[in-house]
Amino acid sequence: MSTTTFAHNTKKHNANDWLATTVIYIFSALVLIALALPIGEIIINGYDKLSFDFITQLPEDSGRSGGISSILASTALIVLIAMITATPLALCTAIMLTEYLPEHSLRSSIIRGSLDVLAGVPSVVFGLFGLAFFCQTLELGYSILAGGLTLSCMILPTLSRSITSALHTVGDEYRISGAALCLSRLSTLWHVTLPVVLPGIAVSVLLGLTRAIAETALLLFTSGYSDKMPSSITDSGRSISVHIYELATNVPGGQQSAYGSALVLLLSLLLLSVLLHLTTHKLQRRMIRG
Amino acid sequence: MKRLLSSFTLLSALVLTSCNSQTDQENELMITGSSTIAPVLSEIAKAYERQYPNSRIEVQSGGSSKGLNDVRQGTSNIGMVSRRLKPSESDVQSYRIALDGLAIIVNQSNPIEEINSLQVIDIYLGKITNWKQLGGMDKEITVVSKAEGRSTLEVFSKYFGISYRDIQAHVIIGDNQQGIQTVNGNTGAIGYVSIGAAEYEETHNNAAIKRLPLDGTAATTENLINQSYPIARDLNLVLKGKPSNLEQQFIDFSKSTDVIKYYHSHSLIPATLPTKISSNTEQSTVH
Repeated sequence: MSTTTFAHNTKKHNANDWLATTVIYIFSALVLIALALPIGEIIINGYDKLSFDFITQLPEDSGRSGGISSILASTALIVLIAMITATPLALCTAIMLTEYLPEHSLRSSIIRGSLDVLAGVPSVVFGLFGLAFFCQTLELGYSILAGGLTLSCMILPTLSRSITSALHTVGDEYRISGAALCLSRLSTLWHVTLPVVLPGIAVSVLLGLTRAIAETALLLFTSGYSDKMPSSITDSGRSISVHIYELATNVPGGQQSAYGSALVLLLSLLLLSVLLHLTTHKLQRRMIRG
Repeated sequence: MKRLLSSFTLLSALVLTSCNSQTDQENELMITGSSTIAPVLSEIAKAYERQYPNSRIEVQSGGSSKGLNDVRQGTSNIGMVSRRLKPSESDVQSYRIALDGLAIIVNQSNPIEEINSLQVIDIYLGKITNWKQLGGMDKEITVVSKAEGRSTLEVFSKYFGISYRDIQAHVIIGDNQQGIQTVNGNTGAIGYVSIGAAEYEETHNNAAIKRLPLDGTAATTENLINQSYPIARDLNLVLKGKPSNLEQQFIDFSKSTDVIKYYHSHSLIPATLPTKISSNTEQSTVH
């Protein structure tokens, strides 16, 4: 009697299993398709535009001919400023949260809470803040510097939350062993914890970087619209996402260049992630040895 | 850590030096406003800088209301406003530099000679589906409309009072050229495109399209300029108070015949057109 019920149950289980597996497969296939379609469209439509000249020449005729060299230079500067200012701040906040403050203390929950609130603020709001604070109050005007600083405010909460969770993945036994070996908290951090989580931090930085490069509304308010080659970081400079938006909506006949720029953006993101992956491994080895 | 610190010092040094270099305010102009005008005015600004190498003209997009606000607050010298100014906005001076109008177009082989607003609304709401209902040939109507986010769609739906969600379109197009090509290749199609673009494609690429007079008024450049054609908007430069020499010089430059080719390449009609289109075609082809 009991064996038959068991057999019956397994049959039912198998059917359920099979169903669940199929659903999971179908849904993940859908996600893959949803990812492949836009990428495919960008590659197909942007392929014709892609050339050495497109990357090295200045935009002409509102971006419909010529290249995107000035756009790439502005984008690089904006993102560089944003990462240089945001990464140390985010890293320190994360270290404070994981290494120094007890997990359920008041101070720690205040910091966590405000980071969560900040992470939920739409980028347009950061844009308005940047416009009021960096551009007007600090009189930076529409500039690459103002754009980069505003951008760093926007990515700061997500960056520090993801670095925090990376640091959390290191078990407490590392820290306890460090303490047992009479290492100070700082040297445990520098020689043990940080090298271990370096790949995690690198992934966080990369995620912040991609968010920064893809940001449009915020940069339109702060770093501006000019497609001229920037001569300093106080010049206005158009980032690549603003350029794509502009070509796709406000310039008649700008579609092709928009696809071309989108393809360049896609390729540079790919290149960045490969580079970051390679350098992280090298750095990790050096930090452990040192 | 040392390296990090030195890169910080480098950055701050960079900031300080570049702040110092920003001095010459006299030859600088800040222009903000309408995202429709911004692309063409950036090109004009570049041409101006080429002609007067000491000057620096900065064009920033952001919308017509931002243009007005910035001029009122004095954060920019000149604002770009892509509509007629309201009576309440008489505190600023406006200079019309260009016009933009929408033409209803059909294929050249379509026997329909004109159309009225009610018919356009019925066609775009899907109530009229065959040309014979308008006394034309027995052919299904292919409704061509613009993709969401296009300013032409906004102008169109605002003028006819129909929400763009209610438009029953068969073909969704991105820009004017695409719309003209679609109507060019489909004898039953109807679409709406910028008048400047339609005129350009008709004269340069022999597009087989026909601009239908709307409510009895022909969709021509002349009727746009004398303000008798209804679906139109003005593209204005606005400023507060008496223009400085540089401001006046730039406004004059943006209305001069030298820059007409830039308006044409952005499907706009320059306001100070020596009205015959044919006289400008040479300039645009040279470009």
